[in-house]
Amino acid sequence: MNDIKYDYILCRFGELTTKGKNRKDFIDRLFQNIKKRLKDYPLLSYEKQHDAIIIHLNGIDHDTVCDKLKTVYGLSNYSGAIRCARDLDDVKAKALVLIKKHPYKTFKVNARRQDKSYPLNSDMINREIAGHILRNSDVKVDVHHPDIMLYVIVKNDRIYLMDEKIQAAGGYPVGINGKTLVMMSGGIDSPVAASMMMKRGMKVECLHFASMPYTSKQALDKVLDLVKILTDFQDEIKVHIIPFTDLQVKIYEHTDTSYAITILRRMMYRIADEVCRRRHIKMIANGESLGQVASQTPESLSVIGGVSENLIIRPLACLDKIEIIDMAKKIGTYETSILPFEDCCTIFAPKDPVTKPHADKCEYYESKFDWAPYIKECVDKMETIVIKNGDTRLEEDLF
Amino acid sequence: MASNIYLDNVSTTKVDDEVLATYTKLLNDYYNSDALYDGGVTVFRHQEHSRKLIADMLGVKSNEIIFTSGASEANNFVIKGLSLMHPKGHIITSYYEHSSVIEALKQVERTLGIDVTYIKPQSDGTIDPMDVKRALRDDTFLVTIMKVNNEIGTINDLKAIRDALGGHKALFHSDMTQALGKIKIDLSDVDMASFSAHKIHGVKGSGFMYKKAHIKIEPLISAGQQEFHLRGGTSNSPANIVLAKTLRLALEKVDDKRIDEYHDYLINGLKAIKGVVINSNDKGIKSLINISTPIKTEPMINALNLKGIMVSGKSTCGSKENEPSRTLEAMHIDSDHALRISFDLNNTKEDLAYFLECLKEIIEKYE
Repeated sequence: MNDIKYDYILCRFGELTTKGKNRKDFIDRLFQNIKKRLKDYPLLSYEKQHDAIIIHLNGIDHDTVCDKLKTVYGLSNYSGAIRCARDLDDVKAKALVLIKKHPYKTFKVNARRQDKSYPLNSDMINREIAGHILRNSDVKVDVHHPDIMLYVIVKNDRIYLMDEKIQAAGGYPVGINGKTLVMMSGGIDSPVAASMMMKRGMKVECLHFASMPYTSKQALDKVLDLVKILTDFQDEIKVHIIPFTDLQVKIYEHTDTSYAITILRRMMYRIADEVCRRRHIKMIANGESLGQVASQTPESLSVIGGVSENLIIRPLACLDKIEIIDMAKKIGTYETSILPFEDCCTIFAPKDPVTKPHADKCEYYESKFDWAPYIKECVDKMETIVIKNGDTRLEEDLF
Repeated sequence: MASNIYLDNVSTTKVDDEVLATYTKLLNDYYNSDALYDGGVTVFRHQEHSRKLIADMLGVKSNEIIFTSGASEANNFVIKGLSLMHPKGHIITSYYEHSSVIEALKQVERTLGIDVTYIKPQSDGTIDPMDVKRALRDDTFLVTIMKVNNEIGTINDLKAIRDALGGHKALFHSDMTQALGKIKIDLSDVDMASFSAHKIHGVKGSGFMYKKAHIKIEPLISAGQQEFHLRGGTSNSPANIVLAKTLRLALEKVDDKRIDEYHDYLINGLKAIKGVVINSNDKGIKSLINISTPIKTEPMINALNLKGIMVSGKSTCGSKENEPSRTLEAMHIDSDHALRISFDLNNTKEDLAYFLECLKEIIEKYE
């Protein structure tokens, strides 16, 4: 026995272990999310336990599966596991192979009996296995900072031997905390905001404002490509596309240029509210960050967000641009976000936007035209596209 | 009698059926990939997806893949593009590079006052990294050494050359045309590299340059925004799009053991023919065998041609010139009698048996 293959991946839960009464719902949701994430591998099978989900690899490559699991929120950490007979000699032999497979210098054995009827106690198991490794390799014991921690779990019909814990994405399983509508521009910030909402267990629907013909087909494609990347975290995402041009033109007709962006953003929130109402969503999120641009000063955020009836979450509010860029790179959206296409906020952008807008002035400009029918029309004409994970939106057979 | 036996795969290859079908289909999508309407946008998206897949397969970034008309253009691009930025500077290369490297170098020597050092291969056909190191000067801005030689098949150890260069500022480029699809390649050893599609069962007039993202270079073809403003002219989108599939299919076959079998079978057969000398050694790719026979190269090619067998003498790009092969000359091999046999997975053992039989017959008849 020179090489050893993992038989399972043992997935441990994230924050949901702290939630007592909703535990079952959390685990069920995480279980569904893991299965969706691994849907391309029908040979895998699953075992749900009260403290872990065990993926039976059935010959599928361990690294391939781990790679997919990286984007599953709600997972705290996972380990490759090897199934042993309920016989310590089998565990010892396999533990030695596992240790020798890596360039580890120090180790520690951490045994736990879930089946207390096993004749040896945890300490005795630790000593038995460690002794065997010490006698047959050059690796030393280090109980404080071992290079590898070997976990041994004794069940009533088998013993698991496990590699070290690999950190997973953490957070809550997507969908467990309800739905949120994320305003998605196509820039760097909004996809990051969406992924942060997902991490808090929110199922995301996206809202995009398109100003055809002032914005291009490429600009819309870019947004859909960004959402496609986000489907690694949430298997299927709805994107609602609002034809915004008519209302946008009206705003510019009736508003002083310095207030145009402020009014424009207020209208966006009103549209988002209407979409929320129709989609039974109670929360709006976006990529606004304090002070980043004129419409994101405290005064602007207050005057703009003030029109909404919904809870508004701004996950990036207190992050600076560098931190946001790092997160965008981590989730894989950065390269797409920086492609240069106009969005609805960059066209007609005034040179002198107000940084401390007043609500009464906004109301004055808004009183000059009947905007409510435009809001309704925008949402009536909304187009919804469903983006699914794995869908490249391209002619696949060309590649 | 067997006929149409193609044993010149180093020169070019048969277009793969699946590649050809896709390419033919793509030719109908005539829209300019830079156009803003739907047709153009779709072509652009397909082309960029191809670029990403190619980058992924080679373990690099999308913006490091620049589509060209092939490796000759990529080689010219590297040499002239960098020479324009370093006139009167110094380049190190090997004595046995492809003509697109040698001739581009001669041109910049002539016109930009570039000084070029040509390293001779060792007797085993490889370039000694220490020779490259010894040739380094303060003003060396480029080292260009091919990965696999196109006449004799020897493989250069690019990692060893990279190590020998140490921290020198010179960029390291490699013409990897003959390596692609035949051996595993590691782009982390180099700064830039050149590739052709038609050597891996793709279409002609298609290839790409790999260039690390931070490296600045002057365009060879100055025009529009295509290829990150580095290579102007309306994109050859059908070829660029089908290149991802071409590369995928080629890389899937890199480890095919049949090539080793064919190689051993041919070597054993050649050894048994009186008068045949095997010039290739075990430092080379398996799918190319260079030999010398008692018959001069051209009559031998003609005689084999009459039997329906296609092989080359020296590099095909210099086949109609009377100069001796630089590669073979450098290795002290008489290029007047040399023959280059290059097979691939489209060949059968029967093809090789027939070739051996004909070769033996011709040698016995005309010697």
